[in-house]
Amino acid sequence: MSLLKESTHEQQSKLAEYCKTGIVPELTGILEENLHHYRRLVFNIGIDTIETAYPITYRFLPDEIWDKLVYEFYAEHKCQTPQVWRMPLEFYEYCVEKDIQGKMNLPFLNDLLYFEWLELEVHTMDDIPYPSFDTEGDLLNNLLAINPEHKLVKFTYPVHILAATELEGKAGNYFLLMYREKESGKVQCMDVSILYAYILEQIQNGLTLQAVLTDADSLFQINNFEMLKEHAINFINDLKQRQFILGFLNK
Amino acid sequence: MQLKDNKHIGIGFRKDFSEELLDSTVLKPAFIELAPENWIGMGGYWKKQLDKAAEKFPITCHGLSLSIGSPDDLDLDFLYKIKKFIKQYNVQIYSEHLSYAKCDNAHLYDLLPIPFRKDAVKHIIARIKQVQDILEMPLAIENVSYYTPVAAEMDEATFISEIVDGSGCNMLLDVNNVYVNSFNHNYNAKEFITKLPLNKVSYIHMAGHEQISDTVIIDTHGEAVIEKVFELFEYTTSLLKPVPVLLERDFNIPELEELQTELTRMETIVSKTWKKEHVIA
Ligand SMILES: [Fe+2]
Repeated sequence: MSLLKESTHEQQSKLAEYCKTGIVPELTGILEENLHHYRRLVFNIGIDTIETAYPITYRFLPDEIWDKLVYEFYAEHKCQTPQVWRMPLEFYEYCVEKDIQGKMNLPFLNDLLYFEWLELEVHTMDDIPYPSFDTEGDLLNNLLAINPEHKLVKFTYPVHILAATELEGKAGNYFLLMYREKESGKVQCMDVSILYAYILEQIQNGLTLQAVLTDADSLFQINNFEMLKEHAINFINDLKQRQFILGFLNK
Repeated sequence: MQLKDNKHIGIGFRKDFSEELLDSTVLKPAFIELAPENWIGMGGYWKKQLDKAAEKFPITCHGLSLSIGSPDDLDLDFLYKIKKFIKQYNVQIYSEHLSYAKCDNAHLYDLLPIPFRKDAVKHIIARIKQVQDILEMPLAIENVSYYTPVAAEMDEATFISEIVDGSGCNMLLDVNNVYVNSFNHNYNAKEFITKLPLNKVSYIHMAGHEQISDTVIIDTHGEAVIEKVFELFEYTTSLLKPVPVLLERDFNIPELEELQTELTRMETIVSKTWKKEHVIA
């Protein structure tokens, strides 16, 4: 049971709603000339947080369209996270739910926003324990240890490769590997083909490279195991150099 | 609270200068303060920075989103995360704003003024007790800057005092906020301070602000502390037992030398006003 009177709650609600929408409420006993500071302060925090999280989208969209989008988000959406730096995820989810990309006729918008969010997410996400691994082993037949702090994501538009202005008409299947370097904490991005995305996913699922390649050879109708093996080993060695593949899992 | 080198003055730990601070021989705070909301659940580079900072300095926590004055129920999941964080980093002081930042299930990420009313006092007392029970430590509530009252039935000092008395919580006295409010609402800052529950003050904030017109000061934490706030600080500390003091600087961060000059000045003031005491509360 709340000890707060309905009339007090109502005053608080009106002020909060005003901060969200900017529509001036009727409040009791206020300094009218100062009220706008609350709207300004609240809204600026929201705008700054979203613009910092989505710099590419922010620069890409014309100012009036961006401003309207952020305004509507703030007015309509009830931010759920107590941690303001996580709030941009709610902005992305809002855009997906409201089909903003459909309304703006920008079919790559969701991918672009998600790509920008992922950079933040991978940089800040909670530490994930590394597996224990050896540096020496058999690339084909030992299980590979991979950096657990990563995301492997499929996009319809190559938002991680091309500038936003060049995305129109480029729909396809694109895969992004994004991971966090252990020591520096830096986020690295790598475009991977559908074949390599498949290989990484299966390694992550606990298959040896030999087993994955055997499957991939027929699945992708390559029918040239030796060639596939050579390319895949180069790929894996490259990922080892980048410290994404750590070594060989300890059993 | 065990402060570094028996000094009293700490600084807000900001990502903008965390690296500089950790390596600095210039800036030497007695402790650092951080908002748990900005660090909870964060890994990678920032977790490493936080852990390094925790090795070097005692930490106090100053929350942003507890929203003690909200009509909404307390977010208990979040409160338990704060509790865990406080334990993990051996935090001795947890403070929050006497304001609300969430209403009708929406976070606003800023500090809105609570109506200074009897029912709000009762409501907040019950919530503070609940928070203290869960955290198993006292909460220090902070007097906030406000730019307009809303539906007030009593004055701000009475509002604060009744809440502190009724809940048994501590008070974080923000000297700059008193100055800002005294300017914006035309009252005498020193008189206001004497009306506060001074025996419950466990922590002090100092900060800079920005005067944007003849009648309005905004509490920005983006400028140097002004002379009049230093004066008010000297007066305030003369009425208090020794407590940790924090310089809040969130924006427009200057060279660390400049921050240290402000810390040193505050340390000089309290070494005078608190010279008879040697023990930190
Ligand atoms: Fe403060």
